[in-house]
Amino acid sequence: MEFNEAHGSDAHISDEDLLMAIDGELEDEESAAVEEHLLACWACRARRQEIDQAIAVYTRVRQRNLDSKIPAAAGPRALLKARLALVAESRPVPPPAWRLGSLLRGGLPPLWLQVAAVAVIAALATVIAGRWSGMHRGIPGLAALSVPNASLTPGATILASRNQVCSGSNPNNRPVPASLQRKVFEEYGIPGAKSVAYEVDYLITPALGGADDIHNLWPQSYSETAWNARVKDALEDRLHDLVCDGRLDLATAQRDISANWIAAYKKYFQTDIPLEPANP
Amino acid sequence: MSVTTTELAIAVQSATVSSRRTSPLEQEVVDLFDRLRVRLLRYVYGFGLPVQDAEEVVQEVFLSLFQHLQRGKSRENLPGWVFRVAHNLALKRRTAISNASNLAGLGFAQDADVCADPTPNPEDQSASNQTQRRLLAVFRALPEQDRRCLALRAEGLRYREIGQVLGVSLGAVSISLSRSVARLAEVARR
Repeated sequence: MEFNEAHGSDAHISDEDLLMAIDGELEDEESAAVEEHLLACWACRARRQEIDQAIAVYTRVRQRNLDSKIPAAAGPRALLKARLALVAESRPVPPPAWRLGSLLRGGLPPLWLQVAAVAVIAALATVIAGRWSGMHRGIPGLAALSVPNASLTPGATILASRNQVCSGSNPNNRPVPASLQRKVFEEYGIPGAKSVAYEVDYLITPALGGADDIHNLWPQSYSETAWNARVKDALEDRLHDLVCDGRLDLATAQRDISANWIAAYKKYFQTDIPLEPANP
Repeated sequence: MSVTTTELAIAVQSATVSSRRTSPLEQEVVDLFDRLRVRLLRYVYGFGLPVQDAEEVVQEVFLSLFQHLQRGKSRENLPGWVFRVAHNLALKRRTAISNASNLAGLGFAQDADVCADPTPNPEDQSASNQTQRRLLAVFRALPEQDRRCLALRAEGLRYREIGQVLGVSLGAVSISLSRSVARLAEVARR
């Protein structure tokens, strides 16, 4: 502490110690010494009052000007609860194509849209799950197509930034566990399908932030049509390059590939036919 | 019919969350959010972030807190932890906005908080008296770290907590605060 009786009766308490005393940051012994000095020293008491006044003015101005900017708590609180529920259940975040932003025009900020869409999708998933509870999840007779069934495979993403996607540590398409592949085949009404004929593919590739979730997987034929798994792989590589080169934002890439990957291929390769070999 | 963001959020939250029981951990985080949100927002505004971004930063802070607690990590001084994470996220967000603005040729100022904390320009223009205007001028002339110290102290953090948030020593916090208050006191005395 700067203040010291050794300096004699004319010694005053430093601003730093006065402030620490006001803020309750001094040790008991030091605090007692300051209080004792203040009883005897008008100058230091006046200085303490000045400091108190400065704090009061600053605090008043700060609160007056900032508090008026703060939105009501109800909305953000509800959003936080919704997001916590999703995190607690480790639900993947639906892709941008399924965000309300594409349905509502303007007015809502991105966070609200993102979380609202997440929650709406989750609610829809709950309804669908409830409707189908006790039933086989699959749709008998529904064959694997070049594009997925949107109700079964809407696509799903994890919360990943562009940096994460492009860091090199982000995985490319991981092998889908056999048990999950079987579920996907059952879901699409082709139980027992051979994995050599179909690639259980990610709609949104993990390399673009796609999630390991059944809603992001579908059985894509290697040879059924010209628009097969190998063609889509080429699109995934192209989109990844564009995102990491800064020529395309990640959300757009996710939205385009999940909305209609064939249309996305035509758009990003500037062609109406696949450029990659269509057959294995 | 227009729907406000708040109404939408509440409706969505009700639709998705009401069907499940909120866990004690989630409730604990929401309770902390209720206690600290306004203080955090005031602090994060000081980085010059738009209201929308500041609110997003605060949301991220509490999601991080939830994951922090989920992993069984330290519960010591959670308010201090929350401010520290908010500080780091706000810095990142400001850098990201700055980079994006520069790329777009908008020229986001790195020192935007000079205007935003404690009062943004619009409010500054309506400052009701000379003392306030002088105080703002003095505040803006302070070094960034001094402004952060002052803002954190105004939000109720102890010196040790301020030091942890800013990564400086206790002595540095004390010196910074006394220097800032001394300058503000000059204004208040006139």
